[in-house]
Amino acid sequence: MRGALASGRRLGTLAGLFGLCVLLWALTPHFLTVANLLNVLEQTAINAVIAAGMTFVIVSGGIDLSVGSLVAVAGVVLAAALHRSMPIAVALAASLGVGVGFGLLNGVAITWGRLPPFIATLGMMSIARGCALLFTEGRPVSGFDPAFRSVATAKLAAIPAPVFVTVGVYLLAHFVLSATRFGRYVYSMGGNEEATRLSGVNVRLHKTLVYGVSGLASAVAAVLLTARLNSAQPIAGIMYELDAIAATVIGGTSLMGGEGGLGGTIIGALIMGVLRNGLNLLGVSSFVQQIVIGLVIVVAVLIDTMLKSRKT
Amino acid sequence: MDKRQRVMSCLTLCAVIAIAGACNREAARGTGGGKPRVALVMKTLNNPFFIDMQRGAEQAAKDLNVDLVVQAAERETDVERQMQIVENLIQAHVGALALTPSGSREVVPVVGKANQANIPVVIVDTRLDQKAAADAGVKTASFVGSDNYKGGQIIGGYLVKVSNGKARVAVLEGIPGHETGDSRVRGFRDAIKGAPGVTIVASQPANWERDQGFNVFQNILQAHPDVDTVFACNDIMGLGAIEAIAAANKSGQIRVLGFDAIDDARKAITDGRMAATVAQYPDEMGRAAIEAAVKAMKGEPVPADIGVRIGLITKDNAARESDRK
Amino acid sequence: MATPSPSVPLLQMQRISKQFPGVRALDDVSFDLERGEVHVLLGENGAGKSTLMKILSGACGRDAGEILIDGRAVALQSPRDAQALGISTIYQEFNLVPHLSAAANIFLGREPLHGAGVINRRTLLAGAGALLRGLGTRIDPAARVGDLSVAEQQMVEVAKALSIDARILIMDEPTSALTESEIDELFAAIARLTARGVAVIYISHRMEELARVGRRATVMRDGRTVATRALPCPIPELVRLMANRDIAHHFPPPTRTRGVPILQIERLSRPPKLHDVSFTLHRGEILGVAGLLGAGRTELARAIFGADQPDGGCVRLEGRPLRLRAPSDAIRAGIGLVPEDRKRHGFVPGQSVAANLALPQLRRLCRGGVIDRARERSLARRWIDELRIKTAGPSARVLTLSGGNQQKVVLGKWLAAGADVLIVDEPTRGIDVAAKMEIYQLLDRLAGRGAGILMISSELPEVLGMSDRILVMHQGRLQAVLDAREATQERVLHAALGLAS
Repeated sequence: MRGALASGRRLGTLAGLFGLCVLLWALTPHFLTVANLLNVLEQTAINAVIAAGMTFVIVSGGIDLSVGSLVAVAGVVLAAALHRSMPIAVALAASLGVGVGFGLLNGVAITWGRLPPFIATLGMMSIARGCALLFTEGRPVSGFDPAFRSVATAKLAAIPAPVFVTVGVYLLAHFVLSATRFGRYVYSMGGNEEATRLSGVNVRLHKTLVYGVSGLASAVAAVLLTARLNSAQPIAGIMYELDAIAATVIGGTSLMGGEGGLGGTIIGALIMGVLRNGLNLLGVSSFVQQIVIGLVIVVAVLIDTMLKSRKT
Repeated sequence: MDKRQRVMSCLTLCAVIAIAGACNREAARGTGGGKPRVALVMKTLNNPFFIDMQRGAEQAAKDLNVDLVVQAAERETDVERQMQIVENLIQAHVGALALTPSGSREVVPVVGKANQANIPVVIVDTRLDQKAAADAGVKTASFVGSDNYKGGQIIGGYLVKVSNGKARVAVLEGIPGHETGDSRVRGFRDAIKGAPGVTIVASQPANWERDQGFNVFQNILQAHPDVDTVFACNDIMGLGAIEAIAAANKSGQIRVLGFDAIDDARKAITDGRMAATVAQYPDEMGRAAIEAAVKAMKGEPVPADIGVRIGLITKDNAARESDRK
Repeated sequence: MATPSPSVPLLQMQRISKQFPGVRALDDVSFDLERGEVHVLLGENGAGKSTLMKILSGACGRDAGEILIDGRAVALQSPRDAQALGISTIYQEFNLVPHLSAAANIFLGREPLHGAGVINRRTLLAGAGALLRGLGTRIDPAARVGDLSVAEQQMVEVAKALSIDARILIMDEPTSALTESEIDELFAAIARLTARGVAVIYISHRMEELARVGRRATVMRDGRTVATRALPCPIPELVRLMANRDIAHHFPPPTRTRGVPILQIERLSRPPKLHDVSFTLHRGEILGVAGLLGAGRTELARAIFGADQPDGGCVRLEGRPLRLRAPSDAIRAGIGLVPEDRKRHGFVPGQSVAANLALPQLRRLCRGGVIDRARERSLARRWIDELRIKTAGPSARVLTLSGGNQQKVVLGKWLAAGADVLIVDEPTRGIDVAAKMEIYQLLDRLAGRGAGILMISSELPEVLGMSDRILVMHQGRLQAVLDAREATQERVLHAALGLAS
């Protein structure tokens, strides 16, 4: 039973997150404070939002390496629009539109162009980065209206705005993936693309849309990042794709496609956020931090494959 | 059996964290342990400049009897990660913070957060963007660094002198928008203004990195084979350019000017592969930064601008200077 | 090693048996091979030829029986053993690396070296050249295999087999893709091999060429050897031996009556696998499609379903021509396909029974793009009951079901979608007997309600027992249309082998 199995695996990941928190609570007095936990949530927001889009892509059996570059290009478009004193709504729409547009281009290259997702999005990673650099002549665009910055700075009941944005993104994404026809097709395509096609599903269209969703998520992350740094850098988001893939995979979504979900991904993103925060609080050297994060990713996936090989 | 594996996974995870944590148990105790605690957050640790800075800071911390936490992002370009580190250190209640900003404007918000938490911030090496800081109303306790503009002038003046006013120069810039690199280039350009025979034929960013310094300069050599001088805004990029020169079999034909005077650059100058660099004394910066941070933490007055000496390093003094360490 | 007495056959396979889950693939089979002989192996699809050859090439173990070479029993547990014994197989799909030269392919894994891993190109090319010349071909050993014709690639395969000192060569349908003159060349090469004492086991469905190449023919049927005849032997006799399979199952008595035409296929072509096929399917009719492997039956099904684009021809549904650009067009018109390879094309294994049943008509179960879970579940419940699918519930993953129940899910998809025309490709492959009966009853009931069913099957008894009429295909063409009442296994097989009636 898919539901039960998925939630079983998610429970394991959740236990991992919980264990991590208990351990940090034991090791440092600064971890388990409201301020620090909110801090962790705020820091996790950007990776979590990108990983939500990545989850769609990976469940559909693909991969998107271009998300980091899409964050940069959507960010600089947003910043440029704001600097030309366009209304915030227009600037946001332009930024999200650019993200979706580049994402759909990925999809078209993969479906109609028949390129492997790895190659198509690897190309886009460089193309989008180049566009961002060209557009800004390599320089960051900074200094925005406080009204826009409130996306990152506003607080409601002490909870930072990016946390609300992330929760909203996840509720919506979870609804789409689990309750809608599109979401069902995403799972079917990842589980057995040919059987899905032979059941009359327009696989090309829906696969293209999946990459559009990923582009949209990257653009939302770009809005958060730009507001947070009060600056949009064309070199922003380098290697963010790896963090997003890591969060998705730690959350139990299989790189083979067809399985997984957003509940796991948010926990995966939180594990990465808590880990980074905790290692900072402990004053662990940044070299050791990289080793620890790498081990967590490998161990998480190792367990996933071990579980699977037992199952079948 | 799933359950057992799940437990195993948690245990593995815990073990890893516990080991990492145990290594730093002392630091983890925070201010409660008696000694006051200050933090130095740098751009990255994969640049010897920052390693030297860390060495100076550690020495100062020992002399002043404070705990020192040193953290840095994996990549020099990752401002968001640096911001996270600072936020986490604010949560850990460090007494004071010394920070080398990865982005002059981008770190302004997080300096604001430190202000709110009443943690004094000493900016090191790269100035905050004045306007952005003023707009956001953030305060810093002090700036410790050497005058990058002046450093650029010194090396530019040196070039005019040794080339007898005739040179075709390629410039390797840092990350666009970084105050440090921009000032160095500005100083350099101003110094060569007086010599019409010294022209800049190409100026391209190599983002502070060695491999990019290699590649970018290799490309410049393709486009401008007549380049006879390269000015790299830091030694790392300059060392990359030296490799590119060797690969093009032009060793000895192109004058390499660097900045920062890291050990490898000094060695290169002694060997004759590099012409000159500007000594920044990052270890003195680290020391001064921690001294200023500790003073600020205790509420003692700190000068707003602490200059660290700067000097030209050529074959004449490279060896002597490196003996200093 | 003493020279064996010439009276002992080169190879003796004695009383070989092999059981697969649910099927007795080989039952007490004996087979022998003389030095320098070409021994033809004949049999219908599933008669046990390939299993026997897999055992001989070490690709598959045996449950009982002995294999003797030169009169001595050998272990033969793995392909390595077979290679060491000089047994080599040339499959229909060549095992060649297209980017490498002929010489490199021939000596792949056994390259002559200078030492330190450096390949001795000169020895490599000279050795390969000598082998190829010995077969009477003029292939350049340095030529890239991908640039060679199919016939030349086959010669490279033969040369590769000879390079490991093969004494027994198994050739599976070696002439299926060759032209007449290429066949002549191949036979000449085989004659040279046998003159040197190499023995060949030759599997083919081309009856007319058997006598030209073989000395003896052994016929297999239902996992047994039926007879061995010296060649030449009259073709009708061989066909009769291959047919007459046991009718293992009882088929439900038909409850249906034939109605008006529903699906008309006109001159459908998709070269090279499908040429100019025309027929009509009626409501209430089960139209069987028989033919050997590779006769173009699956290609026909996929073309009608819009899964592959035909190059010519027309599909009419109740007189209206259909535009079939994708399966969705066929589904909208009321056509369903139960594909041959259930696992790869039939269902999404990781998803629930309910999700799989709903997949083709998800659009109808949605309101504003959101799936109505309650309707999805009730739909699933209804078809689970109606088809008696044995499952833990609608949310059980399909991969947890048995083969028969998986097939019912695939069928149920189309029943739930209300398909008027159902194409079923090998509907009972790999399914136990009880489930087979249920599927037969289901198909009959469906036709009884007025659907038209096109049933492709390699099981002759199934085709004869279930169909109202039988289409027989041969090499992508419609060879014959037989009325079920007058069809016999022999007649179907005769047409399937491409023999004139």
